[in-house]
Amino acid sequence: MTEEPNLSAQEMLKKLTPALSRRTRIRAVAALLAGLAGAVFVTVLWWSEPGELPGRTRLAFGVLTAFCLAWAGYGGWLLTCRVPLFATDRVVAAWLGLAASVTTTGLMAVVAVQRGTGLVLALAAGGVFVAAALVLAVRAHRRRAALLRRMRELTGEQ
Amino acid sequence: MTDELLVIRAQLGEHTALAELVSRWQAPVWTYVRRMLDAERADDVTQEVWLAVIRGLPGLREPGRFVPWLFTIARRSVTDRLRGEYARAATVGALVAEDAVEAMVDRAALVSVLAQLPVPEREILVLFYLEDLSVEECAHICQIPAGTVKSRLNRARRLLREHLEEKGYRP
Repeated sequence: MTEEPNLSAQEMLKKLTPALSRRTRIRAVAALLAGLAGAVFVTVLWWSEPGELPGRTRLAFGVLTAFCLAWAGYGGWLLTCRVPLFATDRVVAAWLGLAASVTTTGLMAVVAVQRGTGLVLALAAGGVFVAAALVLAVRAHRRRAALLRRMRELTGEQ
Repeated sequence: MTDELLVIRAQLGEHTALAELVSRWQAPVWTYVRRMLDAERADDVTQEVWLAVIRGLPGLREPGRFVPWLFTIARRSVTDRLRGEYARAATVGALVAEDAVEAMVDRAALVSVLAQLPVPEREILVLFYLEDLSVEECAHICQIPAGTVKSRLNRARRLLREHLEEKGYRP
């Protein structure tokens, strides 16, 4: 029996291209980061409002937060179930996450200072995200370094 | 270049290493799937297997154990398609250990009667003889003890011999 696959390795790779596309990975990371940053920013703005808000404004804040969380969920789902994020991608994604966290924290702090209220809340929320992004960055670097070390061992390079 | 090195390079994000890995293992994966399923489903399932491999590759902690991991994924995909057939096969009676028939089994003859064997025995024969995996690797892939792999192999060889003898093949 000399049966062979109908699809060659090249054809198989072509079929796998959508899962490996850089664009999809960027989209996934961007959706997650923008969604999270947006949700935190809107929530802090909402909670730091000095006075009682009208019903429509509260509704608008709620809808906006839900919209951002939906994007974050979509990005998270892509990254965990659909799109492979390789070691180098993870390092880049972690630094993007750190940059986004710092920027969002800065923006929240500026708004809180201008309003004269909610600075602690802004810094606390931002701090959590910056810390999480830092942990992810350290883990991503360690994982990449471990792979590079093993690669050098196998190839006999110093 | 070893599989482990290719896997590590692929895990780092090198597309060429991933392409090399796919071209190296595309035929063995397809062969396994084809022996377990009909030709129509083999291509679809093979693609599913590779998709799962690509999605899971960044998280593979032991690159040196890529092959058992790959066939575990392939087996899972095949099992999903064969779930009904597996349920029927579970009623098969006690395993019987008999003398080996390797001398009689040449690869082409083995392939031609494989489709007639029950799924668990067919699977073990494919992994052990066609994919040249060790008993330990077969056990890991099928999530059964090594002793069960051996007894299943014995039973598979006995069934195979019976089928071959029915076809007039004599050692």
